[in-house]
Amino acid sequence: MKSAKWENIFKGWNNSESEAVHTLKKVPVFKNLNDKDFTELEKMMHHRNFTSGDFIFKNRAPGEGMYIIMRGSIKITIGTRSGNENILAELNRGEFFGELALFDDEPRSANGIALEDCKLLGFFTQDLMILQERNPVLGHKIMFNLGGLLGERLRKTNKLLIKEQSK
Amino acid sequence: MIEKESNYIQQIYRIILLLIGLWFINLIWPYISDVILMLVFAFLFTTVLLSSVDAFERKIGSRSLSVLAVVAILLGAISTFVGSFISQISQQAQEFSQRVDQNTMAKEFKILGDKITSALPSFMKSEQSSSDYFADKLTEITQAVLGSLGSLVSTVGNFMFIAVMVFIFTIILLSEYHVFKRALVNSIPNKFFEVGLKLIYNIEKSVSSYLRGQFLSAASVAGMSITGLVLLNFFGANLTLVIFIGIIAGLANLIPLIGPFVGMVPALLIAFMNNLGSEAAMDHMFLGTIPSPFFSIDIIFMFLVVQQIEGNLITPALVGKSVGLHPMLVMIVLLIGGTLLGPLGMLFAVPATGVMKVILKEIAFVRKNAHLL
Repeated sequence: MKSAKWENIFKGWNNSESEAVHTLKKVPVFKNLNDKDFTELEKMMHHRNFTSGDFIFKNRAPGEGMYIIMRGSIKITIGTRSGNENILAELNRGEFFGELALFDDEPRSANGIALEDCKLLGFFTQDLMILQERNPVLGHKIMFNLGGLLGERLRKTNKLLIKEQSK
Repeated sequence: MIEKESNYIQQIYRIILLLIGLWFINLIWPYISDVILMLVFAFLFTTVLLSSVDAFERKIGSRSLSVLAVVAILLGAISTFVGSFISQISQQAQEFSQRVDQNTMAKEFKILGDKITSALPSFMKSEQSSSDYFADKLTEITQAVLGSLGSLVSTVGNFMFIAVMVFIFTIILLSEYHVFKRALVNSIPNKFFEVGLKLIYNIEKSVSSYLRGQFLSAASVAGMSITGLVLLNFFGANLTLVIFIGIIAGLANLIPLIGPFVGMVPALLIAFMNNLGSEAAMDHMFLGTIPSPFFSIDIIFMFLVVQQIEGNLITPALVGKSVGLHPMLVMIVLLIGGTLLGPLGMLFAVPATGVMKVILKEIAFVRKNAHLL
């Protein structure tokens, strides 16, 4: 029989990875981090639960950061739910969205809606700033990864633009 | 039409609820004001010490040990300061009482009164401004100051209780700060989560930057005052407890507008106590022209220079516009703080108003964007 007292005493001895760390390891923004970094990062993550159909954020609402899907799925849309809804993407477990809001004060450019009951991890500008102050090495690693990710997207956009112009 | 009416009724309900709330707070205020004061103190101490505890925790890996280490260092510094200050001031007071009795003091005051009367321009010499009048008044003031010192001792017990409670609250807050913050953040509904998080972050940032700036400017005032007092000693001011006077001036500087003047008082008292009976100190002239008995004008001038440097050069650079309150508003909130909680209320009136400003700004932002959330 398991006793809560003994579980409390020996908590931390069980080194099995938490679901949050497991999810974070799949996200490219957090690549090249060690286990200690992930443990620190996990402490900063905000666990949020949404039920099916809930808005995670709305288009043009002030945005503060990114979400990582731990369980469930979401859709990114433009337009209202009824009628002219235009689905830009459907994202599942381990995928992330809203990362642009980490860098700028611009409002959200689309809606984020839960497709089913889902559990998300939130990582916001404020967390990144605190991380930069408290653990600059980890903060720099994440910033570098985010920079790389945005650079990759810019390169893809440039290719598309060149392709469109050459038509 | 019906919707308009229901909105109107809702507004009336809200106003009634607000009035009931205000009445209730007013009713329980005498019972909770001390606890609120303790919590505010503990929160401010926590804000100041938090970064040190966090840094320690990263080094040694244990929150409890980090809190213990930081608190022990702080307690050691405070007890060393207070202990040596009390022993030196009591030694000073003992020497003073051995050297000067009441008759000598009255005689000295009479000489001082004569000097002040003779220095006054003829049109200001009324019947009242005779040397006896000055001597009586000065003796009266000194007796009142010494008498109030007695009542100060009686409040020490109450102060000790508040200090112990603040200490306990600070330790709890330091140990559990991140847990409390996380619990607060987790309680925000999804709809307001991002703006709520931003609000908490902005409050933390504005309070900590304000406090850091204030403590740095207090340290600079202390440093400059010590330098100024040492310089005055070169000209024969015979000031003792220079470091303590400087630190008290720095701490007093934390209270806006009034603090800098409070900071001068210990220096003037020490100058008076040390120089009573000295002809040279009594006849001293500031810059060779203005009579400055016991170097009083020199001390006031020195503190005014320190305040000007601090107010115009150091504070704008350190504190900047972290709180950014209008001077008129600062005066009003100081009066309110002083009325509600005395000198401590004055100390916290400005940072509290700064926090309120941040909250109101964020609420206005949320209201403006409410349709988007």
